Amino acid sequence: MSAALLPAAASAAKAALEELLRARRLQTEAPPLRGEDRRRVPIATGLLAVDAVLGGGLRRGELSELHGPASSGRTGLALALATGVTRRGALAAWVDPADRLDPVSAAAAGIDLSRLLWLRGAKTRVAGSRPLTETLAATGTLLGSGLFDLVVLDLLGVPESELRRLPLTTWTRLERVVEGTSTALLLLAAAHVAHGPGGASMALTPRGPCFMGAAGPGRLLRGLTAEVAVGRHVPRRAPLRLHACC
Amino acid sequence: MYGCLHSSSPLPSEEALFDLAKEFTPRVEAKAPTPVLLDLSGLGRIWPDPVALGQAILDLGRARGLDPNVALAGTRTAALVLARSHAGLTVVPPGGEAAALAPLSLDLIDLDPDRLALLQRWGLRSLGDLAALPAVALSERLGPEGPRLRRRARGEDDAPFVASPAPERFELTLDLEWPVDGLEPLSFLLARVLEPLCASLVARGRRAAGLGLDLRLVDGSTHRRALRPAAPSADPRTWRTLLLLDLEVHPPRDAIQALTVRAEPTPSRSVQFSLLDPAQPSPEKLAETMARLHEWTKDGRSGAPSLLDTHRPGAFAVGTFAPGPASAAAREPPLPRMALRVFRPPLPAEVAVKDGGPAFVSAAGVRGAVVDRAGPWRASGDWWDGAYSREEWDVTLGGAGLYRIFRDRLRDAWFVEGELD
Repeated sequence: MSAALLPAAASAAKAALEELLRARRLQTEAPPLRGEDRRRVPIATGLLAVDAVLGGGLRRGELSELHGPASSGRTGLALALATGVTRRGALAAWVDPADRLDPVSAAAAGIDLSRLLWLRGAKTRVAGSRPLTETLAATGTLLGSGLFDLVVLDLLGVPESELRRLPLTTWTRLERVVEGTSTALLLLAAAHVAHGPGGASMALTPRGPCFMGAAGPGRLLRGLTAEVAVGRHVPRRAPLRLHACC
Repeated sequence: MYGCLHSSSPLPSEEALFDLAKEFTPRVEAKAPTPVLLDLSGLGRIWPDPVALGQAILDLGRARGLDPNVALAGTRTAALVLARSHAGLTVVPPGGEAAALAPLSLDLIDLDPDRLALLQRWGLRSLGDLAALPAVALSERLGPEGPRLRRRARGEDDAPFVASPAPERFELTLDLEWPVDGLEPLSFLLARVLEPLCASLVARGRRAAGLGLDLRLVDGSTHRRALRPAAPSADPRTWRTLLLLDLEVHPPRDAIQALTVRAEPTPSRSVQFSLLDPAQPSPEKLAETMARLHEWTKDGRSGAPSLLDTHRPGAFAVGTFAPGPASAAAREPPLPRMALRVFRPPLPAEVAVKDGGPAFVSAAGVRGAVVDRAGPWRASGDWWDGAYSREEWDVTLGGAGLYRIFRDRLRDAWFVEGELD
C-alpha cells in the first residue's frame, strides 16, 4: 500500500470501527482521527434541540456569541459546550477577566478539569493597567496557538462602559485570528457584542426557575428554563432546560 | 594492568575523576563520579614503570585540586579495593593481588550488611580469611555467591571491563565583537547558537529537558537564566521563543558581551500514537503558549482547576496546565447543568427575614424582593482550622435573577455567593 493511500484507508477503517462502536452503544463520542480536518465538525452542546437550531453545533473558525440577562443559562450552555470538547479529549480555555467561573459547577457539568485552561483576571487591579486589553491579547494568544477547540471569552461582569471603549476593529481582529482554525471562539455577554459572518448569535431569554415541593424547608430548586434564539433577524428558537448542579 | 581512582572527599564536579582518567587512557569505566576504573594495558611503551605512571596520575590529580587515591594492579577488583583502602599511590605487581588484599577488611568488597554479619559470625575478619576458605564448602553454604565472594577476596575479576562513553556536553558559547543591547539583535544571535546545539542533540537522539543561558554583560557580571518547560524539546524555534519571552520578563541590566547556552540532554520521547485517541497537543506548542501567558499564570491564579477533597463550599485549587492523555469518557453524556457564577469574595448583603426565610435582598448590584426560595441548606466544618457554618438559600429575586445567598452563622451576617446561570 502506498503512503498516499494510508490516510484514506485509515479513515475508512476508523469510520467502520466508529460505526460498530455506535451500533453497539459502546462509544457515543468519537474523537477525530489524527490529521483529520476538524474544521468541518461543529462543536455540539449535547442538547438536541439547541444543536438542531445551530445546525449541528457551534462552527469552528468563527466568532460566536451567547448573550442574555441574568440567570438565563448563558454559563450553563457554555459549560455544556466545553464539556463536549473535553470529553472528546480536546482542550478548552475559559478567559475570565471578572473571575466568576466556579470549578465545582464546571466539574458537575462533566468537564474534564485537567483539559480546561482557566485564565482568571487579576485579584486587584493595578493602577494604570488595562485589564480588558490584556484579556483580549491573551485570547488572541490562545486562538493563535491552535491548541484549543473552544475558547470562551467571558465578558459577563465586565462593565459596559469598558466594552464600549474598545475600538470597533477589536472583534474584527479576533475574527481574523480565529478564521481558518479549528477553534471556536465564544463570547459570553449580557447583550449583543459581536459575531462573525458564519458564527452564531445566540440570545437567551429566561423562562424562570423550576422549584419542586411546597413552600417551606423541603422545597428544592430543580433547575432553570430559558429559550435560545439563534440568528438576529430570523431567529430559530429552541427550549433550554438546565438542571440544578448540587 | 588496571588502575582505579577513588576520592573520599567531595569532588568539584561529577566528571572530575573521569576527566582525569581520560588524560591517560580512552578506556575508562565509571558507574558513578567515584570510583573510576582505567584500562592501562598497552601503555607500557610510554610508561614502562607502573609506579611512574601512577605517580603521574596522582600528580595531575593534585594539580587539578583533587586528592585521589590511585591504585594500580593486575585486576580491576584488586585496584578498586586498594584504592578504597590506601591513601595516595599503591602499585601491586601482577600476581601479587591476593597477598595485597589479604590483610584488608571484609567490608571493602561491597558486601550487603546481612552477608557481612554472617561472615563475621563465622569468625572471618579479613579478605585473606575469606580467600583461604575452600570454594566447594562456600558454595555449599552460600550457593553461587560463595565462590564469587571468594574470587573477589582474592582480587579476581568476575566480569569483563566495559568502557563508559564520555559524558555528553551540549554547550555553545558565542563571544561578540561588539556588545548588543536589546532583545531583537539577541534573537538572531540565539538562533545562531540554538540551531547547531539542537542539531547536535537530534543527531544523538536527545532532546533538551532544560536550557541554561549565561549572558556575560559589559559590566563584567553574568545574567543567568534557566528554563525547564513541561516537555523536553529539540526545536530551536521553540527554545528561542521561550528564552526571549523569559528575557522580556527578566531583562539583562546591561549590554551583552558573550552568551553561553547549555542544554540538559534527555533521551528523545517515543510516543505510540493511537488510531482512536484524539491527537494530543504538541508539548512544544503548549510550553510556548504557556510562556506567552506568563503574566496570567505567574502567580498561580490561572491554570487547570481541580477540586479539593473537602466539604467546604467552593473549595478548589489551580495547578499547572499540563493535560495528559485523554481518558475514556463515560458512556452517557452528562445532563446539562446550570452553573454558579461566583462573587469573589462573596458580596455582603442586607437581608430582610420573614417567616424564617429571606424576603428581601440588597447587596452591591443585586437587589430585589424574594419571589421564590429553596432552603435552608446547612453546612459546617473545619472546626480545627478556619471553621465555617452557613445556611444556604437559592432565591429568585423579582426581575433580577436567581441567586445563592447564605447566612454566616458564626458572624451572623448575610452574603450573596453567586448568580445561578
